[in-house]
Amino acid sequence: MAAIIRRIGCRAISNFAAKNVVAPKAVGAIRLSSTTPAPPAEDKPTFRKPNEAARLNLSNFGRYVAECLPKYVQKVQLTAGDELEVLIAPEGVVPVLQFLKDNHLAQFSNLVDIAGMDVPSRQYRFEVIYNLLSLRFNSRIRVKTYTDELTPLDSCNEVFKAANWYEREIWDMYGVFFANHPDLRRILTDYGFEGHPQRRDFPLSGYVELRYDDEKKRVVCEPLELAQEFRKFDLSAPWEQFPNFRNANPPAETVETKQETPKK
Amino acid sequence: MFRAPLTKVIQGRFGSPTHGITSKAIRSSAALSQTPAKAPEKIEVFVDDVSVKVLPGTTVLQACAVAGVEIPRFCYHERLSVAGNCRMCLVEVEKSPKPVAACAMPVMKGWRIKTNSEMTRKAREGVMEFLLMNHPLDCPICDQGGECDLQDQAMAFGSDRSRFTDINHTGKRAVEDKNFGPLVKGIMTRCIHCTRCVRFACEVAGVEDLGTTGRGNDMQIGTYVEKLFLSELSGNVIDLCPVGALTSKPYSFVARPWEIRKVSSIDVLDAVGSNIVVSTRTNEVLRIVPRENEDINEEWLADKSRFACDGLKRQRLVAPMVRMPNGELQAVEWEGALISVAKAIKDAKGAVAAIAGQLVDVESLVALKDLLNRNGGETLCTEQNFNVKGSGSDLRSNYVCNTTIADLEQADAVLLIGTNPRYEAPLINTRLRKSYINNEMDIASIGPKIDLSYNHQNLGEDAGLISQVCNGGHPFSKVLENAKKPAIVLGANVLERPDAAGIHTTVASYCKKLNKQGWNAFNVLQNNAGQTGALDVGYQPGTQAALKAQPKVLILLGADGGKVDREKLPKDCYVIYIGHHGDNGASIADAVLPGAAYTEKQAIYVNTEGRAQQTLAAVSPPGMAREDWKILRALSEILGTPLPYDNLDDLRNRIEDIAPHLVRFGKLESSTFGNLTEQLATSKSIENTKIDVKQKKLREYFMTDPISRASPTMARCVREVSGEEAKEESQRQAAC
Amino acid sequence: MAGREAVRKAVQQVRPILSVDREEARKRALNLYKAWYRQIPYIVMDYDIPKSVEECRAKLREEFERHRNVTDVRVVDMLVIKGQMELKETVEIWKQKGHIMRYWKESQDPKPTDFLSKFLQGVN
Repeated sequence: MAAIIRRIGCRAISNFAAKNVVAPKAVGAIRLSSTTPAPPAEDKPTFRKPNEAARLNLSNFGRYVAECLPKYVQKVQLTAGDELEVLIAPEGVVPVLQFLKDNHLAQFSNLVDIAGMDVPSRQYRFEVIYNLLSLRFNSRIRVKTYTDELTPLDSCNEVFKAANWYEREIWDMYGVFFANHPDLRRILTDYGFEGHPQRRDFPLSGYVELRYDDEKKRVVCEPLELAQEFRKFDLSAPWEQFPNFRNANPPAETVETKQETPKK
Repeated sequence: MFRAPLTKVIQGRFGSPTHGITSKAIRSSAALSQTPAKAPEKIEVFVDDVSVKVLPGTTVLQACAVAGVEIPRFCYHERLSVAGNCRMCLVEVEKSPKPVAACAMPVMKGWRIKTNSEMTRKAREGVMEFLLMNHPLDCPICDQGGECDLQDQAMAFGSDRSRFTDINHTGKRAVEDKNFGPLVKGIMTRCIHCTRCVRFACEVAGVEDLGTTGRGNDMQIGTYVEKLFLSELSGNVIDLCPVGALTSKPYSFVARPWEIRKVSSIDVLDAVGSNIVVSTRTNEVLRIVPRENEDINEEWLADKSRFACDGLKRQRLVAPMVRMPNGELQAVEWEGALISVAKAIKDAKGAVAAIAGQLVDVESLVALKDLLNRNGGETLCTEQNFNVKGSGSDLRSNYVCNTTIADLEQADAVLLIGTNPRYEAPLINTRLRKSYINNEMDIASIGPKIDLSYNHQNLGEDAGLISQVCNGGHPFSKVLENAKKPAIVLGANVLERPDAAGIHTTVASYCKKLNKQGWNAFNVLQNNAGQTGALDVGYQPGTQAALKAQPKVLILLGADGGKVDREKLPKDCYVIYIGHHGDNGASIADAVLPGAAYTEKQAIYVNTEGRAQQTLAAVSPPGMAREDWKILRALSEILGTPLPYDNLDDLRNRIEDIAPHLVRFGKLESSTFGNLTEQLATSKSIENTKIDVKQKKLREYFMTDPISRASPTMARCVREVSGEEAKEESQRQAAC
Repeated sequence: MAGREAVRKAVQQVRPILSVDREEARKRALNLYKAWYRQIPYIVMDYDIPKSVEECRAKLREEFERHRNVTDVRVVDMLVIKGQMELKETVEIWKQKGHIMRYWKESQDPKPTDFLSKFLQGVN
């Protein structure tokens, strides 16, 4: 799941780049002055059109969260049309999650997943993403925070017991340290494995390979020597493959929270 | 396969950074001539309701590219004339009753172009349906699969089903395959009649071999009568062909585009320094395709550069060898080879000379020079002669193309002296040809009668003509003197003559008279990639100095030209060969140290206009071969005089100390001191002998260096082209 | 001096992992070393590795010496945490013999370092 989030991050960046070229604001302005009537709504949309009412609800709730926790919430945004994201400071992980879990208007009592994301160019290269689900209101929210290799995050094991293994996974895959975790140790990698495989600077093929040594009668570990060359598939074409997605939902829209974001 | 969206090209994100593509906004195709004197007012059009300002005369397709929308197309190519016959680029323009062909239609003010409307989509789907009606469904066995415009565009713009379902009895159109020669494979059933290849042959290559016969459903691309496609640029039609009708014969059924690795590099088989992409898989060079560089090769590549890469796998030196007392070369370990070589150099006590060959990179040249200087040797030469006394090779402007390759395109009067650019530097010839077409350039040559693929005036073979022209006494002098941008191109072979100094001085001083502000008319067209770099780092041209010194040890650094042989050397001379092919050099050597070819090392090469560029290692050297400079570095350590660089960066720093321009890749440093040439010159006398060029016919083009001599493809080319040329000759005689 | 002040401020602002100053980090590292040191006889016995206690202690020292030049308190802490986790994996016998023997890299030939031997071996 962490890998998927990684990929989404890449796509978000490329979408952003595409947006610069098309300049959607100008499109709207010119459409208004055009003499032709507005085209009828397409009956087979190629991307999901979010429900306006749901969007309003979500952005209102986002605003409410921002008002309740002004110290921690740095930004509220809607991504892919109708997914609410709350971007918080790393100190606020426990209070924000506690609030979302216990508040009567929220009741996000279910921690679906914790994902990591690595963007090495950033000052705080890791993003940690908490996906919450409220069964009571049939609603989902995403809480994102950031950290670097050496800054510990607070473990939210006290709030959600489900976080135990998820945080172990983030620790194992990205090397983000969770303070106050009851049992922080590796979960996916082999004992003695060095490095954190989901980091961007970790090569896809890894550094070492294992083999069974017949003389020593045990498994030995050696630096990687690839028998077959690493294959890179270049599938680019000069043609725009999905012109219908030119006007897809923007990757993220900020929800105005009517308050100054706390300055760092 | 060179496939880049026009959008990228126009926005300047692609290609050479030094050349102002961005400012030009639109590249002038063959039809649009030079940029007008004053820029006319831009007009506004709307592409999908986004406003774009373009110059008048811009086509709809180019306007869309400015807006960032790529229009699908097959026949349109920005370096060829507009044909408008594939109809794939149809787009809707508001208030126009039917869709317009974007590639041929100039935009009008206020047009609203709709690139994704219902009408546009339907038009594209219709065109695609017609194309696929007759296109075979043999993608699994087609070499173009994976880099095929038709595949990609059928996916992106085509309909998902066809209505031509009742073809069970009629079948698809089938066309007989044509034999285009040893390089291009034609599977003409796949042809969609875009005529890009025909236009390329006529407009760029200048051979009217290709054409269309028949019309409608019976139209065929071919060579009219059965003959080969005889051109030194024939490989480019493979890149141009949007489908798999024209594919590469040596590369057929070798690899799929998604499984190969691509490394950007530089070609060294001629002195142009074309930018290439080396495709490799499992440490093997599979093919070479051009990379765009506006300043050098545009997007073309000469056949030798493209197809000689299979020579990199033949006749390679894979282990160090030492000549045994019985006179046989025997493979040994590196340690033993280096020790025996070092012993020989030590015993020579400074009587060491070195000769650098035609494919040598700057790094190994510098390392060899440093090594020899540390061991008391001073005699370092290049194999190619450059027989100019006086300022000679000390002044850079004496041995480079001062006009620059890109600017030769603007020349309006050119004199070629003892050179055949068509085969010595095919991509410079395309520039001259472009100028001939667009500027009505006057071009004349002194030397044997040759076919340059365009009309030119042959003044004669006599060397005396040079002084005649340069004294202003020849009719062509008037043409040169009246020209706005004249140029004189001296072939490298002319400068090997004994009277080269006289020719050089005469021409250089005449060029000084012709020079205009910002225009230098004097050009020397080198014909090998190593020469300019070697002269830049201070090698003496010509092997005489090395032979005259009667050295005890002679180091041949890739010197395979056959200009040195045992008879000319002292009997006890110990010959060391460092290079990558078992060719002339290795056969006379006492010790052979296997080096790396240009696809196997990161190395600097300087092209004939003095532009330093670097190759990148695409594969590793075969067997025990090592990069050349590393061999010299290791040898220096065994000699007890270690060179002060252990890695490429240190070596590059050293090169920067010697000649800073050599590490500024892709940039061109203008030569200074050009005016001093005349003052330093010694003689102006020219002998009245005939001027000759080495490569007169196409068959002489294919094998000029160790790599192409080892290449089976090039051997096949020579065989088939000689046969074809003999056939043509006999036909001509029969007709007389 | 002002620069150093700024640096100290920046250092103080970051959140510590475990230790607040170098002394504490040093103590933690020493404690970890001691813990490993004491466990080595049991490790040798439990895993039945073909190494003596002395060899293991030399290896332990080597592994710590490798990070000798680390000065950042937080990096030290991170290494100590990872070392502790590893110790736990070892002591609880979650690892296997091969994992322990990996420290010695027996099946690997040492890489040449100087130019000439690199050249002769054809690496770099």
